[in-house]
Amino acid sequence: MLARSILGFPVLALLGSAGALAAEGASAVQDLRAAIALQGFPCDRVVDSKRNGDSDYTASCKDGNRYHVFVDSAGRVVVKKL
Amino acid sequence: MAAPVSPAPAPPPQAPTAAPSVAPAAGAPTGKEAAAAGAATTAPAVRSGSTSSKPAKAPTAAASGTSAAPAGSAVPATTPAAAAPPPAASAAALDLNGLEQRLRDTHAIGVFTKLTLKNQVDDLLGKFKSFHQGQSHVTLAQLRQQYEVLLLKVISLLQDDDPSLASAVSSSREAIWGVLTDPKKFANI
Repeated sequence: MLARSILGFPVLALLGSAGALAAEGASAVQDLRAAIALQGFPCDRVVDSKRNGDSDYTASCKDGNRYHVFVDSAGRVVVKKL
Repeated sequence: MAAPVSPAPAPPPQAPTAAPSVAPAAGAPTGKEAAAAGAATTAPAVRSGSTSSKPAKAPTAAASGTSAAPAGSAVPATTPAAAAPPPAASAAALDLNGLEQRLRDTHAIGVFTKLTLKNQVDDLLGKFKSFHQGQSHVTLAQLRQQYEVLLLKVISLLQDDDPSLASAVSSSREAIWGVLTDPKKFANI
């Protein structure tokens, strides 16, 4: 319980707020960049992002890489290189 | 006789905001960038939040630093430190509930980042579950490495914009590890 409490973030709460990601402005691109990099993909800086839907973004990085970042039905963040 | 003057006793535990000893791959930018880049080396086509392995990092060995009394001495040993309980255990346990809320509420990391970390935490917890059930070939040392890497990611992501939370998480490192490695405590997760 404790470990999950410390490092576990309730999925539903996160999904509920993910839709508002675009409204966060500059921090949104940093969030996308961190999520991309945490999954092992290179992205020095997100220079453009397009919201495709709730918790669904297309991010373009300065190095030219583009990624589809979304939350799947299991509540996992998925990053697909485009 | 007076107590012998020994060189340096025990070094303090690692500083909360110290740079990770498992260095990220990127060119050492900010904590957030460094933490996120820590997982970025080779990129498969699709990934969904799995924890990555990093070079070996031995479990922390606490240096005891207590001086031994000279043998054969008639002087009674009055060492109050020897009877002192471990200070971190209860205090850290008290912090855990607060940390949960602070991690939820912090604006230092975004939603996707939080969810990605949560995915990786769940993956690691699954490995611990297998370990405790004897169904895993992963050693405790390997789990410790993965745990350290994951915790360093969290701390690095927090340390720029929420240093107090980063420090609190860092301070809870051993308490959390204690829960993960104790089968009885882990079963309550």
